Amino acid sequence: MVQVSDRLESALARYGAFRKQWYATPLLLTIIFVILTALPFIRGLAFLGIAPLAWLSLNMLIVTLVWATTAQAWNIMSGYTGQFSFGHAAFFGLGAYATIIAVSEFAISPWIGMAIGSVTAGLFGLFIGAVSFRYKLKGHYFALATLAFAELLRFLFNNINAVGGASGYIRPLPVEYADDHGLAAFQFTSDLPYYYIILTFLLVVTIISFVIKRSKLGLYFFAIREEERAAAAVGIPTYRYKLIGVTISAGLTAWAGAFWAMYFETIRPETVFDLLINVEVLLPAIVGGIGTVIGPIIGSFIVTPVAEFARQSVDLHGLNNIIYGLVLVAIVLYSPKGVISWPARVIELLRERTRILNRSTTEQVSSDDD
Amino acid sequence: MQTWNGQATGEIAILIDGTTATANQISLPSPGIILQLIVFGLLLGAIYGLVALGLTMIFGVMDVINFAHGAFMVVAMYVVWALSSATGLSPFLFIPLAVVVLFGLGVAVHLITIKPIMEAPQENQLIVTFGVLLILVSSIELYFSPDPQNYDIDLGSIAVGGAFIPEGQLIAMIIAVVAVVGTWLFLKKTMLGRAIRGTADNRDGAQYVGINIQRIDYLTFGIGAALAGLAGAAIPLFQTFDPFIGDAWLINAFVVVVLGGLGSFPGALLGGMVIGFVEVFGRFFLPGSFYQVVIFGIFILVLLILPQGLLGGGPSE
Repeated sequence: MVQVSDRLESALARYGAFRKQWYATPLLLTIIFVILTALPFIRGLAFLGIAPLAWLSLNMLIVTLVWATTAQAWNIMSGYTGQFSFGHAAFFGLGAYATIIAVSEFAISPWIGMAIGSVTAGLFGLFIGAVSFRYKLKGHYFALATLAFAELLRFLFNNINAVGGASGYIRPLPVEYADDHGLAAFQFTSDLPYYYIILTFLLVVTIISFVIKRSKLGLYFFAIREEERAAAAVGIPTYRYKLIGVTISAGLTAWAGAFWAMYFETIRPETVFDLLINVEVLLPAIVGGIGTVIGPIIGSFIVTPVAEFARQSVDLHGLNNIIYGLVLVAIVLYSPKGVISWPARVIELLRERTRILNRSTTEQVSSDDD
Repeated sequence: MQTWNGQATGEIAILIDGTTATANQISLPSPGIILQLIVFGLLLGAIYGLVALGLTMIFGVMDVINFAHGAFMVVAMYVVWALSSATGLSPFLFIPLAVVVLFGLGVAVHLITIKPIMEAPQENQLIVTFGVLLILVSSIELYFSPDPQNYDIDLGSIAVGGAFIPEGQLIAMIIAVVAVVGTWLFLKKTMLGRAIRGTADNRDGAQYVGINIQRIDYLTFGIGAALAGLAGAAIPLFQTFDPFIGDAWLINAFVVVVLGGLGSFPGALLGGMVIGFVEVFGRFFLPGSFYQVVIFGIFILVLLILPQGLLGGGPSE
């Protein structure tokens, strides 16, 4: 038994040393994305007659990647700079609406709609940041302000019939704005192409997030998060860098919204601006590890498939939200640094145990001497 | 989570003298209609004040934004409704019981989820209380179904000086006023109330003078939840409810609390009245749920320009 824990400890220690290398995160990310690329094909594989991933439908995987993308984008602002946004549904919804309006009202390419949505969301984020940070809103007040902006958009879209009103939009057929199903139309006859598109979005957002974290920009972001006044004192223009953070984060969140609009058949204010969307956007980052690049992806794979399975396959309404709630409470109470911190925590616990074991044996020896 | 169709004031247009006036047809409403709207504004404002009271108390003392506040209200609604339908007795009998249950629930939620992370960053408490919201609301949805329910009582309305007052709303308002005055007296006149106010003023200072702030915390959270329970139990007296109705009340209660000044008691009442009037007049004069856009507009303006609110409070560092 001791031998097993020793072996585990040394393995974890080697993992800890590996994580300190500069190439660790890119290497792990590469492995993760290779697995994700193969996942649609290996999820049905059986091992000794058991297919452990067979319950994962392609649809669940797609939703999982959507929330991984939003969490990655949210993380750039709230994880890196520490400005906690509780209103990212605003940016998600703007991306979705810009895309669906482009194809429904103007019959132009959804990709142009997505670009417009991304810029609009970025500008809206810039506006929220500009007014909030100028008035030095932080903590509770900033979180409530972002929530208020998201709710404001929900009611605006609900009440303006020119943008669909409360009934929203039904996704038009590809022939109405493009030639046929395919990449140009952003509509496909099967789920598989959707999977690779959202995987590509996630990859791009992850690369942006990683590059930012390793750059001077990331250094400034983390300095602001750790101690804003000290950061300002050493000459970092904190106001400007917080604005950069919120703008990038908002613009990237809109991508996931655009994908949502083209993947699902209907878009309504209640589906993209809902109160719960604000939570779904950020939940994977909290579960995986705030401020880390790998965390949002891991986190989404921990919560979303189970919740989606509960929602789609078990006929119990609300069960998925109970799962979300329990995960939220448990992770914040017991592991606020997220799942990504677990190897380090396990090794700490093991070392602690070894220390206690050693101490008791030495005590035994000394008492024998007496 | 589902959309909410607040029916807080019912269909005003129908209630008023049986006319079916709609927003577009009316350019200059008669004084009678204005009087009626003012009455509805007062009735709704008092309820908003009560809803916001517990929220602002928890914030003022503990610096915690309690997202579960609306869920606490919903729990109370279902406690009263389930017991009165099961026993066939009047729901009024079970309102005090719901308040006690909610006090217990509040203390339990505090001990399990808030107390261990009182010193953690503010976001953590926000996330945890949101998790509690999801668990409570979805459990109710799972157990009782998401369908709308209402208390099995038949309340009429009385006419006073040309204005109609629905009895259910009048009783709810009386409950709200009594609760607000009672809480105010408790905070002003009792030792415990003074200790709670002292802790709200200055946590460290309260500790130095020997106040057990851990005890104050759980009592505050319990009382806050009990107030939410009282508000929740009173609301079905004048409107139908479903498991998700707490969201709408919660969001507007945030507006009330920030408008009045986070942590400020009289502010909660003043803010409640402002939002009550905006909602009632907005429902009448603006199309659809545009009044809600106005409410959030006010919210954002207050957050930006007057974050300390109308009456004291203020952003804590």
